[in-house]
Amino acid sequence: MADKSKLGMEFAPYTFEVEKGKIAEFAMAIYQKESKDQISPLYTDREAAKKAGYKDIIAPPTFQTSFPLWASGGLMPIIQALNINLMRLLHGEEEYEYLGAIHPGDSMTGRSKVVDMYEKEKKDKPGKFMEFTVIETEIRNQRGELVIKSRSTIVER
Amino acid sequence: MSKAIYFEDVNIGDAMPAFTSDPLTRTHLVRYAGASGDFNPLHHDETFASMFGMPRVISHGMLIMGMTSRAITEWIDNKCLKNFKVRFSGMTEPVDLTDFENTKARATITVTGTVVNKFTEGGENRIQCEIQAADALGGVKLTGSFIAALPSK
Repeated sequence: MADKSKLGMEFAPYTFEVEKGKIAEFAMAIYQKESKDQISPLYTDREAAKKAGYKDIIAPPTFQTSFPLWASGGLMPIIQALNINLMRLLHGEEEYEYLGAIHPGDSMTGRSKVVDMYEKEKKDKPGKFMEFTVIETEIRNQRGELVIKSRSTIVER
Repeated sequence: MSKAIYFEDVNIGDAMPAFTSDPLTRTHLVRYAGASGDFNPLHHDETFASMFGMPRVISHGMLIMGMTSRAITEWIDNKCLKNFKVRFSGMTEPVDLTDFENTKARATITVTGTVVNKFTEGGENRIQCEIQAADALGGVKLTGSFIAALPSK
């Protein structure tokens, strides 16, 4: 069961360096394609991105999910700190608020915090509860600009 | 890349162009694992999945969200996207290559959406669109919504 005393807890910040190749690899994965030629050129071609009104190649809308996975062991440090049972863990919800773009060469720093913990009674099992933990993350670039705010809801069923 | 969509051309009740994925294979899951760094063995190792009583591996929920983001940005420009949120509601099993015809429906994801609101915020003309990703058997994988700021004519 999630430890409710952890509400408000902040986690150590992580920093992810955005590489052009990693953006293309991520975009190919969500497009289910094996070649850069088969995906949107905004993710691979600087000139095409500029023509479309961007400063440089951009990252796909869910790219930031990979930042903590590569930079800090992903959810595991959070799950351990919150004493959540991995066998009962589900990813319930994910939300992104977009305030700016991510480009190759950017250095993105994420700071995560537990902003809510609550429970809901199971519809099919009265008296049994599902536990919800909401983690909010602010992701800033090397200039300190807030680029993405995310909210992840993890569930113990 | 999408063509420019103008605020005036979008109405409440309009459907977003539907998107249908290729049938998800285990190779797609491995590619996503490598790209995202999410190497939870539940997504590539059947012997691990079996310890949880599951007959086969399942997709990363975030891959389905990523595929949904593709559907959205094939309609509206990336720079228009202001908010995107989903609630995960079902697991997705990949196609079995030994029985492709009988298993492709569970692994083929269709994303649909409907415009539910038009409003002005922070000097921008915005739309809100409710979305859903479901397999070809009707199994819903996620529901959610996005907000986009659209240019005006």
